[in-house]
Amino acid sequence: MLALIYFIILAVIAVGCSLCIFFTKHPLYASIAMVTTMLSLAGIYGLLGSPFVGAVQIMVYAGAVMTLLMFIILVLNGSRDNTTKRFDKVSIFVLLSVIAVACLTSIVLCHSTFAFDPATVRGGVDVTAHTLFNVSAGGNGYYLIVLAIGLVLLSAMATAVILARKRIASDPEKVLPEEVH
Amino acid sequence: MQAIYVQILALILLSLGIATALCRRNVFFVLMGVELALNAVNLSIVGFSKTLADTASVTGQIIPLFTIAVAAAEACVGLAIIILIFRNQDSADVDNYSNMRG
Repeated sequence: MLALIYFIILAVIAVGCSLCIFFTKHPLYASIAMVTTMLSLAGIYGLLGSPFVGAVQIMVYAGAVMTLLMFIILVLNGSRDNTTKRFDKVSIFVLLSVIAVACLTSIVLCHSTFAFDPATVRGGVDVTAHTLFNVSAGGNGYYLIVLAIGLVLLSAMATAVILARKRIASDPEKVLPEEVH
Repeated sequence: MQAIYVQILALILLSLGIATALCRRNVFFVLMGVELALNAVNLSIVGFSKTLADTASVTGQIIPLFTIAVAAAEACVGLAIIILIFRNQDSADVDNYSNMRG
């Protein structure tokens, strides 16, 4: 019963902050609401019995990704010349279609029968580490996926550095005064 | 607390994320909507993994870690592309990005 009360509080915070993302005008306020959504989702992960996913959610999403997004919004000053309206005529049809898909999926969800298994595993650090880095022949081979994820992150970092740096180096306004001097 | 509450919450968050990504015209809101939809899918995976027995439920709690790592890489490259387009077009409106002229 206490878990249900905690879940309702966290779910209300998450849905309210998602509505804030949908309705706010400035992207900085929306990113702050997004961080709050991430934190409440991490609380729900802990409530469900997988605290390691919640910790990774806080560290990676609320700590790294949203900080990077806020930094880019502040650097670019992204709402400076935002004269367009928030919603236009297309938004009505988008909203109607999204609501229709959500209603269909909720009908399917309400007709299906599933419940929490009491014999499930609490996904702490030890269980996650033993399963991820099980290098024996009978294991699942998740360590290969960990290596592939490392390669993906490395290539994404290299791509971001090349994309953002090439434009600065070939910017004529920055290069020209140095040649004059 | 039943298992379907988590799925309903994930469905609401997914719908709000898709609606944010498709309705709003600012490019930062599009990125945040995509991130919100990814988070909702993670929540759904963890919620379904708790309905399984022991080894399968561990699998369901490991797959969100990979999803989070891929989302971090996606945000990294996406923000670099946004910086490039913003320097070209000097606007955060996605309707201005529709012409592919350099």
